[in-house]
Amino acid sequence: MAIRRLAAAPRMTLLAALPLAVAVFIGLLAGPANAAAPRVSVSLISETASIEPGASLWVGLRQRIEPGWHTYWLNPGDSGESPTIDWKLPPGWQAGPIVWPLPERLPVGPVMSYGYTGEVVLLTQLTAPASQPVGAPVTLRGHASWLVCEKTCIPEEADVALTLPAIAAKPADGPGAAAIERARRTVPSPSPWPASFEATPETVTLRVAAPGLRADRIAEVWFLPLRWGLIDHAAPQEATIGERGITVRVARGLLPEAAGAPADGVLVLRERLDQGPVSQAFAIRAIPSGVRVAGPGLSLLAALGLALAGGLILNLMPCVLPVLSVKVLALVGHASDARLVMPRHGLAYTAGVLVSFAVLASALIGLRAGGAQIGWGFQLQSPTVVTLLAYVLFALALSLSGLLVIGAALAGLGHDLASRPGYTGSFFTGALATVAATPCTAPFMGVATGYALTQPPLTGLLVFEAVGLGLALPYLLLSLMPAWRRLLPRPGPWMVRLSQVLAFPLYASVAWLVWVVSRQAGPDGVAFVLAGLLLIAFAAWLHHGARAAAPGRRRLASGVALASVAAAIALGPLVASGPWAAPSRPEPGATGTRSEPWSPRRVAELQAQGKPVFVNFTAAWCITCLVNERVALRSPAVAEAFARKGVVYLKADWTTQSPEIAAALGSFGRSGVPLYVVYPPRGGPAVAVEPRVLPQILSESILIEAVDKS
Amino acid sequence: MQEPLSRRRFVNLTGGSVLVAAAATVLARPRSSLAAAAKVGEPAPDFTAPATSGTPVSLGSYKGKVVVLEWTNHQCPYVRKHYESGNMQALQREATSQGVVWLTLISSAKGEQGYVTAAQADELTRSRNAAPTVVLLDEPGTVGHMYGATNTPHMYVVDRTGVLVYAGAIDDRPTTRRADVEGANNYVRAALAAVAANQPVKTPITRAYGCTVKYS
Repeated sequence: MAIRRLAAAPRMTLLAALPLAVAVFIGLLAGPANAAAPRVSVSLISETASIEPGASLWVGLRQRIEPGWHTYWLNPGDSGESPTIDWKLPPGWQAGPIVWPLPERLPVGPVMSYGYTGEVVLLTQLTAPASQPVGAPVTLRGHASWLVCEKTCIPEEADVALTLPAIAAKPADGPGAAAIERARRTVPSPSPWPASFEATPETVTLRVAAPGLRADRIAEVWFLPLRWGLIDHAAPQEATIGERGITVRVARGLLPEAAGAPADGVLVLRERLDQGPVSQAFAIRAIPSGVRVAGPGLSLLAALGLALAGGLILNLMPCVLPVLSVKVLALVGHASDARLVMPRHGLAYTAGVLVSFAVLASALIGLRAGGAQIGWGFQLQSPTVVTLLAYVLFALALSLSGLLVIGAALAGLGHDLASRPGYTGSFFTGALATVAATPCTAPFMGVATGYALTQPPLTGLLVFEAVGLGLALPYLLLSLMPAWRRLLPRPGPWMVRLSQVLAFPLYASVAWLVWVVSRQAGPDGVAFVLAGLLLIAFAAWLHHGARAAAPGRRRLASGVALASVAAAIALGPLVASGPWAAPSRPEPGATGTRSEPWSPRRVAELQAQGKPVFVNFTAAWCITCLVNERVALRSPAVAEAFARKGVVYLKADWTTQSPEIAAALGSFGRSGVPLYVVYPPRGGPAVAVEPRVLPQILSESILIEAVDKS
Repeated sequence: MQEPLSRRRFVNLTGGSVLVAAAATVLARPRSSLAAAAKVGEPAPDFTAPATSGTPVSLGSYKGKVVVLEWTNHQCPYVRKHYESGNMQALQREATSQGVVWLTLISSAKGEQGYVTAAQADELTRSRNAAPTVVLLDEPGTVGHMYGATNTPHMYVVDRTGVLVYAGAIDDRPTTRRADVEGANNYVRAALAAVAANQPVKTPITRAYGCTVKYS
């Protein structure tokens, strides 16, 4: 570690240089010597004791700064200058950028400086060529220049050098290892939380979606931007910590255009722990509000197209197909008559779909505007809603089985369509199709609904309505085009059998919804749902049997049936509210790749350890998710690929509400599950890598390829 | 000129209004805040400060002319870069020869780096062969705070209509290396050219670089 000082600061006189020269001389005699500039002495230190050909090593420029003086960070603040290192390395060597430890805030009068006092180690990763000959020592040289200020400023510079042996073996720790590790610990780690900011002419409000922080533990919050211009560095920062995360308000900086671009910076949290305060620094990129967070830029037209296509595909999903099929069956039965009745049914059905989509989307957009961290499919996060949906599908299934004839008002699925036009029924079938469709987020829909939720409310609503139109389109077209209907098979007894067969996907859907409740509310919740289903079945039997009975008995039966239904409905909220409502737990005994629960912190930790991470954003009520898990995620080949690459599998379960997961989905421009993300391993402490989003319909090969690329 | 005299004269000459207004601004924001009264794109706030000759000079008296404001501190390495390379003097000559008014301001407080008496300021102009229209002494820092001057050098350009059209660095090489003057993009020169051609200034705001202004 011999360092020779070659250049002196301009202010240095010969007289001042004399003791310095003596000091250097003594230093040389004593062994490794450091350059001794007037205010800062620098040396080059290495984490390893030797150089391995083809491998990287971390070196550090250590600055020892005279008390009262400071050097600067990457963003020096309102004045000053950040240090530079001009590397002069042997041929084939490569140097990374300086990796900056967390600076201090150093207010000087009306300006703010970001810099270092005492001692700092500026990290750089150097890479030796594979052709590096072993045996001979290698000298790594650089020219460092920096500004050091107290109240006045002095530019200083020095040549630094470091000589290490090149050995074809894993190197041992060098004498600088401890200092480099200390410095590395203060380098900001990539933030696991999405961030955005909003700028007015006077203020900038930074929002970091870090929900669940304990406000009473956080002593201080600071945002240090990487560039000058967005915020007034010297102004006080007003931080609040709420349920949804951290908000920092600060006076606006001078550069108007800074508000239109993503703002990179460091968020510093000073946390009070029992063993004393601990500072944590996160590298964040705050997106100007209203701008899409991630993913490909999407025009409104493209979003509408994707939404329409997604809606069309929804028709094929197991939860929607029976509903639609029965509607089509009704068309078959009456293909020839009532020229005007058919189109009207089609329109009523479409209206039902569109209105219910509008209601759902408005509720979603409204709740989000009110701050709720929810997304598409949010309604299924409530066990009550899932329970009621199970009842409705169960009643429908009973009706298809021929065990229950429901009035047109409820479902419009009756066989007597021609005798009773039942437009209301068609309308509600549309509504039912919408409700049943929500668990099946079709491909394309994730991108489109994600886009919808980052747009102004009306644009967002338009995108959701496009999904609805897609869902309604097949039936609408069939009802409007008598010619197309002629392509349908002739009516006959097969229709009764088909509708009975179609009851079974619905029973299956009910079974699945009961399972969802079991994940959301535990065994007691299941008991309530099953009791409710029993009551529904009882009511159906009473209703069915009473049709042929005398008026008095019929009224009694109807009354009891209604009471049963009311009791079943009353059980719905109980499923959710009781003390037995338990949060979902990781699935026990899942085969294939083992997963751990996801948390933003865990992702950051694993990344810091240089491990690739796969995150599965899923929910029990999301059929697409379950299909993907069964088809791709649990396959032995995928498990093998994960193991080969050391990929850590994290599962973010959105079965019940989680603002943290909603925020993470939002950072990828999504508002619903499924979402699959691969984070490649990081190159170094501050080298952030872009996570890769995988398609919503997974296959083994897609997953294995993604993992191999990571 | 003796220093106490100059301060008394300053207070008398500047009159109540500027001082009170500026003091109120400063007092209202005791902890700094760079968002000063001066804003690019808006009329440059008027000020009056004593020249080295003792005569009060106000910005308002130059209405109809383009004005450059240069904050300086002759001991700051960044200022020295531009004076020792001759860059600043050349720019001053280039500007003033085209009728631009060049006001060099010194806001260092007494006892701080860069503080000079009127006589020392004149001597610096002579010895450095500088060519400002006039050097203004802003020892209380009033004008500096009004313009949010944070660095030396910190440059401002006011157009003929009195609107502030540029604020920030002299160029795009924030270093102390003299060699970096060559080939740098000089923002002030570009702003002056734009103003002369009745064009909008392309880069109206930049991060000033240099030493902090040594306010009291």
